[in-house]
Amino acid sequence: MKRMPMLDSFTKYRELLNELTMREIKQRYKQSVLGYAWVILNPFFQMIVMSFVFSIIMRIPNLGVPYPIYLYAGLLPWTLFSNSLTSAANALVGNAGLITKIYFPREIFVISTILAKIVDFVLALSIFVVFMIFYHIPITWYILWVIPIFAIQQLFTYGLSLFLAAANLFYRDIQYLLSLIILIWMYLTPVIYSTELFPAKYRWIFQINPMSVIINAYRQVILAGDMPNLRSLAIALVLSVLLLIGGYKFFKKLEGVFADVV
Amino acid sequence: MTENTKIAIKIDHVSKLFHRQKQRTFKELIPALIGGEKAVETFWALQDINLEIKKGETLGIIGPNGSGKSTLLKLIAGVSKPTKGSITVNGRVAPLIELGAGFHPELTGRENVFLNGVILGMSRKEIKAKFQEIVDFAELWDFIDQPVKHYSSGMYLRLAFAVAIHTEPEILLVDEILAVGDASFQEKCFKKIEELKNNGVTIVMVSHSMPSVQKYCQRVAYINFSNLVAIGDTKEVCAKYQADIMNK
Repeated sequence: MKRMPMLDSFTKYRELLNELTMREIKQRYKQSVLGYAWVILNPFFQMIVMSFVFSIIMRIPNLGVPYPIYLYAGLLPWTLFSNSLTSAANALVGNAGLITKIYFPREIFVISTILAKIVDFVLALSIFVVFMIFYHIPITWYILWVIPIFAIQQLFTYGLSLFLAAANLFYRDIQYLLSLIILIWMYLTPVIYSTELFPAKYRWIFQINPMSVIINAYRQVILAGDMPNLRSLAIALVLSVLLLIGGYKFFKKLEGVFADVV
Repeated sequence: MTENTKIAIKIDHVSKLFHRQKQRTFKELIPALIGGEKAVETFWALQDINLEIKKGETLGIIGPNGSGKSTLLKLIAGVSKPTKGSITVNGRVAPLIELGAGFHPELTGRENVFLNGVILGMSRKEIKAKFQEIVDFAELWDFIDQPVKHYSSGMYLRLAFAVAIHTEPEILLVDEILAVGDASFQEKCFKKIEELKNNGVTIVMVSHSMPSVQKYCQRVAYINFSNLVAIGDTKEVCAKYQADIMNK
């Protein structure tokens, strides 16, 4: 079988990946009193505040389901995405001590930080489930589509993270620029509104933005109990794979000098 | 045995070019680009180094600060890639450079032993089997379940050294770490290094301390201004180095 060095992190270095992910997770709950509860409380309160603003003050029209759950279905994956990017951008800079000391594939730092965010996401999901039950949202078989949609989201996140982690090592501005980009990106993605509320002539933006395709697809399969838009999803998949290949090559090309510049 | 299996590390015409990036932020970079300044400055940290280290040998690397010693060690550890030439390393490398880099202050000693052990290439199973030995070596029985942020710097280094030394390395890279802990712990470290040496472990040692180089090394490489100035018998090379310092 052809060797796939891209998968080494998950096979040959599985234990290391495991330990580094656990380190990310443990350091969080050890540093604060409420510890892991913050992971659930943060998106929850964000959702409460936004729901108040957009459904009671701004009065977003009826979207088929109660606004809090509509919002939550988009906000949770978006939070996972933005948290992953932010922490991945710092994954190499924050491990400078190890990078100059011992060799193992550097993308393990990026993967472990993303995995830790996925754990956060799964925990935050618990409140979403409670909301689903509370609002009596019917569950259909279409919900299984969540798995491939989530996989596409992770491919996209990982590809982008590889670019960001490597670039931030050379120019620390990347992390500040990133928080600005994430803010703008969120407003250009149907997280707090629906695609239909966006002016039709600008909707092409959503087509080339995998995050909007992904969030729409989640809502479609979970809340509407319907098929996702397969054509859009296929475009998102292709874009994500291309980005990942590019990101991986970029990362690996620079890897040899990480220890020199960190 | 073929020629190849007797050599632990083969350094073949290795040169390392450093790009010193002067601007770390856009605020610095943009005016520099407009002003026509070069964004990177380059210099050769190592030039055309040839060196073969045999299995079981203890080699010392000496030279003044900034001569390229640590860069060479980083190249052997594989964290940095040579610009020209090639390095072949046969065997598991354990670096004792800047000890404890993988420790996390919030985690307990026990958790850090596993974390650092895995980082250094051990499996969890191996660490479990050696755990008691590591704790005994570090003499941290009562503190192993405390977060390491409560450790004194001596305790911290002792634990880090204990983990690194128990990884069963075939090649040990030692960078000025022999100032670990108090006199009795230092003695213990030296003994352990001696033991590894007798077991056939290859040791590459960077040091400024002539007595410890003379005590442990069979051969010494002297690096100055990025070049390998001399290699050979410990006494002769150390004498040459000391003469160079005197004449400066």
